[in-house]
Amino acid sequence: MTHMKRESWVLIGAMLLGVPLSLAGQGKPLTVTGVRGVTFGAVLPGVPRVVLRTDPANSGQFDIKGPKGGPVLLSFVLPLRMTGPAGALMPIAFGSSDAGFSATQSIGSQVGFDPKQPTTVIFPNNGNVSVFVGATANPGTNQRAGAYTATIILTVTYL
Amino acid sequence: MRALGVAGMLALASASLAAQGVMVAPHAVFIDHRLRSGSVLLYNPGTAPVEVAISTLFGYPTTDSAGKIALDTLLADSSRSALSWIQAFPRRLTVGPRERQTVRLLARPPAGLSDGEYWLRLVIAAQAGSVPITGVADTTAIQVGLKLEVRTIIGVNYRKGPVNTGVALSGVTARIVGDSLVTRSTLKRIGNAAFIGTIRETLVDSTGAAITQRAGDSLVATYASPVGVYFTMQPRLASAIPQPGLKRGRYWLRYEVVAEREDLDPTVVLKAPAVRDSVQLVIP
Repeated sequence: MTHMKRESWVLIGAMLLGVPLSLAGQGKPLTVTGVRGVTFGAVLPGVPRVVLRTDPANSGQFDIKGPKGGPVLLSFVLPLRMTGPAGALMPIAFGSSDAGFSATQSIGSQVGFDPKQPTTVIFPNNGNVSVFVGATANPGTNQRAGAYTATIILTVTYL
Repeated sequence: MRALGVAGMLALASASLAAQGVMVAPHAVFIDHRLRSGSVLLYNPGTAPVEVAISTLFGYPTTDSAGKIALDTLLADSSRSALSWIQAFPRRLTVGPRERQTVRLLARPPAGLSDGEYWLRLVIAAQAGSVPITGVADTTAIQVGLKLEVRTIIGVNYRKGPVNTGVALSGVTARIVGDSLVTRSTLKRIGNAAFIGTIRETLVDSTGAAITQRAGDSLVATYASPVGVYFTMQPRLASAIPQPGLKRGRYWLRYEVVAEREDLDPTVVLKAPAVRDSVQLVIP
């Protein structure tokens, strides 16, 4: 009876979320979503610009959803520099506490970790967690104007 | 010099992204030798297409010298690798908004393959979105656009014939570091398949009463940590003891490894006998 009740709730949940039923029936899904990039705002040449992982507007955010009790390994591939016009470069740095894990998806409730080191986390009861990222952009004193880009890669390995 | 000329104000592009990613189901694939195929469904819950690249690698969880979990992708243990004979199709695809696509896994095992379990990891790389870079024509400003990319790696376990597993437990240690209970042990897999299970730790005082531990935001009497033992590993587990911490006295750590996982279908978790040990912990 309990088993049937749980299945019914899964079915209703899948319908409400718009998840195709055939997908819901395949097994428990794992979803990794890039929500928000790191935003540096105005930068002055020669003046480092720090974005904290606790900055609600400017920090980067990834949301991850998985099965309750499931273990995943989080690891980043981080850029050393951003590429700009005519191959110009702007260094970017990540400190040893520039990544944060939140089991409640609240930016105010994070456990910091080093984004350069893999970190294991376990999905809580509702399966929803968030990872926040901060960084420091280091424009040179004669930084060339133009557009600079870089990519942050988050790898989520199911263990 | 022109850069100096623009030194005043360097406006950067806002990097607000429309959330993008991909849902992968299931989160672990088990292929039976009699079927020799499997599939993974990808679903894009977002409002923009997601470019996905599929690749494979051989790897399994292990621990480093400090006991931290890592994914060992070295090929030293390639006798258990299915990398050369399981292929995924397609390798590149675009999943439209609210659409789903299937990645198929096809196994062509070599003749004479021994009974047992063989492993592979499936890598699903999704371009999660890019920051629109505006005002590029404005040469007096620096615009910074950051892209996010997400990669999901799931395990693929191929099982041929009778498969069995188990784990040998040794070297359990426990100590208090700061406000945390820190344990180590050595886990060695037995049999011809990976041991998929859970480590359970219960700390009891001299009266046998369990000491509360913190697991995430919850307080628990038994701390549980899922584990996959593919060869040998020495996991380090740490759980916080809520304030005021442990009083002076003698405690016992009951350490148990069981073939149970709440995140996996019980039909894919191989049965194995539980192993247990206990060690004393003295708080002077």
